[in-house]
Amino acid sequence: MQLINSYILSFLVFMPLIAAFAVFLSPSTAVARWVAMGSSILVFLGGLHVWYWFDGTSPALQFVESYDWIPTFGVKYILGVDGLSLLLVVLTTFLMPLVLLSQWHIDNPRQKAFLALLLSLESGMIGALAAMDMVFFYVFWEAMLIPMYFIIGVWGGKRRIYAATKFILYTVLGSLLMLAAAVLLYFAHFRQTGVYSTSLLDLYSVRLPLSGQMWMFTAFAVAFAIKVPMWPFHTWLPDAHVEAPTVGSVLLAGVLLKMGTYGLLRFAVPLFPDAMVVAAPLLIFCGVVGIIYGALTAWVQKDAKKMVAYSSVSHLGFVVIGTFAVMAGGELSVEALTGATYQMINHGISTGALFFLVGVIYERRHTRMLSDFGGLAENMPWFATLLIIATLSSVGLPGTGGFVGEFLILMGVFQAMPVAAIFASLGVLLGAVYMLSLCRKILFGPLDNPENKVLKDLCPRELGYLVPLAVLAIVMGVFPNAFMGKTKPSIEHLAKHYKNYSLDFKMGYEMSDKSAN
Amino acid sequence: MNFPIPQLSLSFYGSALPIILLSVTSIIALLMGVSKRCNSVQSAIWINKISLFAALLIIIRLYGISGSASEMFLSGGFVAGRLGYFGQGIIVAVALVVSLLMGVSYIKAKFFRGEIIALFHMVIAGMLTMVATDDLVTLFIGLEMASIGIYALIGYVSPNKLSQEGAIKYFVLGSIAAAILLFGFAFLYAATGTLRISEISVAIGKISGHSWVELGAILTIVGIGFKMALVPFHMWTPDAYEGAPTGLTAFMATAMKTMIMVAAIRVFENGLSGVHGVWVPVLGFMAAASLLFANILALAQQSVKRLLAYSSIAHSGYMALALTAMSGGVRQYSVPSILFYLISYVIVSLGAFAIIMWLENERCENIIVDDLTGLAKQHPFAAVALSVFMFSLGGMPPTVGFISKLYIFNAALSNNLVGLVIIAAIGSTISLYYYMRVIVRMFMMEGSPVLGSLIKPQRSLTTTVIVGGSVALILLLGTLLPEKALRVAKHSAAEVTGG
Repeated sequence: MQLINSYILSFLVFMPLIAAFAVFLSPSTAVARWVAMGSSILVFLGGLHVWYWFDGTSPALQFVESYDWIPTFGVKYILGVDGLSLLLVVLTTFLMPLVLLSQWHIDNPRQKAFLALLLSLESGMIGALAAMDMVFFYVFWEAMLIPMYFIIGVWGGKRRIYAATKFILYTVLGSLLMLAAAVLLYFAHFRQTGVYSTSLLDLYSVRLPLSGQMWMFTAFAVAFAIKVPMWPFHTWLPDAHVEAPTVGSVLLAGVLLKMGTYGLLRFAVPLFPDAMVVAAPLLIFCGVVGIIYGALTAWVQKDAKKMVAYSSVSHLGFVVIGTFAVMAGGELSVEALTGATYQMINHGISTGALFFLVGVIYERRHTRMLSDFGGLAENMPWFATLLIIATLSSVGLPGTGGFVGEFLILMGVFQAMPVAAIFASLGVLLGAVYMLSLCRKILFGPLDNPENKVLKDLCPRELGYLVPLAVLAIVMGVFPNAFMGKTKPSIEHLAKHYKNYSLDFKMGYEMSDKSAN
Repeated sequence: MNFPIPQLSLSFYGSALPIILLSVTSIIALLMGVSKRCNSVQSAIWINKISLFAALLIIIRLYGISGSASEMFLSGGFVAGRLGYFGQGIIVAVALVVSLLMGVSYIKAKFFRGEIIALFHMVIAGMLTMVATDDLVTLFIGLEMASIGIYALIGYVSPNKLSQEGAIKYFVLGSIAAAILLFGFAFLYAATGTLRISEISVAIGKISGHSWVELGAILTIVGIGFKMALVPFHMWTPDAYEGAPTGLTAFMATAMKTMIMVAAIRVFENGLSGVHGVWVPVLGFMAAASLLFANILALAQQSVKRLLAYSSIAHSGYMALALTAMSGGVRQYSVPSILFYLISYVIVSLGAFAIIMWLENERCENIIVDDLTGLAKQHPFAAVALSVFMFSLGGMPPTVGFISKLYIFNAALSNNLVGLVIIAAIGSTISLYYYMRVIVRMFMMEGSPVLGSLIKPQRSLTTTVIVGGSVALILLLGTLLPEKALRVAKHSAAEVTGG
């Protein structure tokens, strides 16, 4: 067990990459498929292992692995998870087998490359979540764009090239400015300590004057805001989502967007706390605008996928305002932060499911226009059930995960900034309006289109990847503590101590002593 | 008249051996052209390959045994030290790779003559001289040997309208630039009374504020900026690159750049650091202009070689950015960052040009970006390799291009050149757009039958090995082994930075 715990994160990060090579070089799509699925299930089991062994009573960084990578710059290979990243890592490993299952039936010569890209994307996502060194993180953060670029650009819809180019350029510009700020921070750390290090655990100790913090915070916040995407940097998202193939959208919504909110929590807030406090009202304003703007735009969409895409803008607005709820005493609101991390997971599951479901009908009818559908509940009962569960979770009905997340965020934000909370709750209302109208237009009404009458209900393979998501959406609503419990110490630690943040760490080989938990 | 005969030790001959070797083989190749008995292209090619390989081995060996300090011979005319060996090593390695690639090129079949080897070796000998000298006149002679040979080669190897135009343009503009550079050297000599770079820096310390020194520094930077192809002295680059046969373009883009960067490091860091207040703003301006304009102009290019020409101007901009960071403040980053950037840029460029040469083989004319449409379907491995090169040129991880860009940012930000770094960030975002145009063509568009069918290159083991090797190096240096190359860059820079 000690051996496993010492290297489990490296395994999670690099196993998919190795599998990607194997898939790319495999003789046939059938072999590629099995290799991909096998490795992703293995990685999921690894994720569960991390989840099980994670010490939920400590805010420390756990399963840490640390080696020198580029000593010239003081760059280290540091991997570790704490309460902020734990759920996201597990979510990523969980989504991957489902995504691969949804690709199971496709058999063409390019499919091997597609599976290889998906696996290398998984590698990048887990790496970005687990890397605890600024440069090491940045490598994954940017490398992740390359597979997604190809997934959108090669397998996407009509305007795929435009969407893929916009996606990558938008992100890269923000990231490069963040890199410049990170290098400045690195020199600031050197001037204060005399040590060259890009390890996040060291950089947390840098204390900068407010003016310096403002510039760097701006660079970091913009880079992450583009990724979230926060209004007004959201314009790449609808294009990318609409043009991406279904699984691209699922992973984009499920994990990639979370990199932005995760980055805000991991980097922007604890590294530049004073600047964050100054900028918090503006960021909350942008968040609230995003919530309402995203909801209103989603409402008028005629394309189901576009509607779900804009709903992401709206839902991630909640995560943003939950992140920046600075209370009167100067602390961050624990409720809002808990809600924000919970909402990240929940949005990944419910929106992931919604994109899958839209993909299902698109595959059958080759259209996503809401006006082409209606009355599908009659001949597609399974589809209807699952769509309603995903929708309800997405709008935050009590009993689903969405409720827990949004409620906690609104509660926390209300204590910090009542006006923002009131406007944001308008977003919940609007969310119910447009999501339910999506349901109504697709599922109910007369089944008058002859093409719709012959549609088949979900096949077992489709149920295989949709039912786990639906079950999880409900379980997350009924037993939130099962998920939140382990993340709580980290979130409280961040909320209370973000102004002089520091992280303890437990090396991977120290994790085996379960009795000490 | 009595000239003092310089006392030359064995170690001088040892370290000058590559230059001597190439000069001698240059003459042999030339004579072989007129001799009736051994006038064979084949033997000229063998002489070329063997002598380059031998020179490379000698340089690597010398690099391995040399210490961090450099030795001066012929009163500064020749410097034997790691920085020089570093430059020489890259130049000879590039020349060897280019020769191997030319061996499989259509040029060989159509236009190849023995004199080309003679010219080529003369160019290399000039380059090797230029990177290993402390004397401004020797430096100039090395530069002219290299340049004149290149002017001739551009027009001579495969005579057509485009290459004639490129050669004439480069010749005229290059001569003016050489005159300006020489003028600058003359001012420096007049003000300081010495032609040795290391003595100039001492003399400048004594006569600070002398306007002739400042004028000399400005003229020098203009001359060197021209050879580096920095905006606004970049006009010749696209035409010369496009006109030259692709192998020569690869050689110019990589070896010429190495030569001029190493020489610039010597001149500015060793010689003119005392007047950095004069040339740093000029160089900073040229770097910023290159980063912005070259990248913007590249957006409109159709020809792949022109696109790479503008990209090479932009990459000069990055190196100039690090050169700007050289004087004042923290000094330990800038020179190694330039050298590391050279390593990365040379590997990537050679790989990219190798693929282009391979694609060109059937067509004898420049390929445009549209010709690459659908390449991924016909030649998936070539397409993957070319996209690795493009991502590395664009500075995306996990390629070596990212690490080298990070190093440049480090160098610039250690001296608080925040504005220039922001310009560099914007420039490289723009650059990513045109690098991705190549990828879009290869992967995301269906091949149109007319253009697609034209590209039917034959398999070539040499190309495969070179392309595969550079892909492997790019990925390895970007992920597992960056430290190794960084250490080489740091060691080579030690004689200049003193660290």
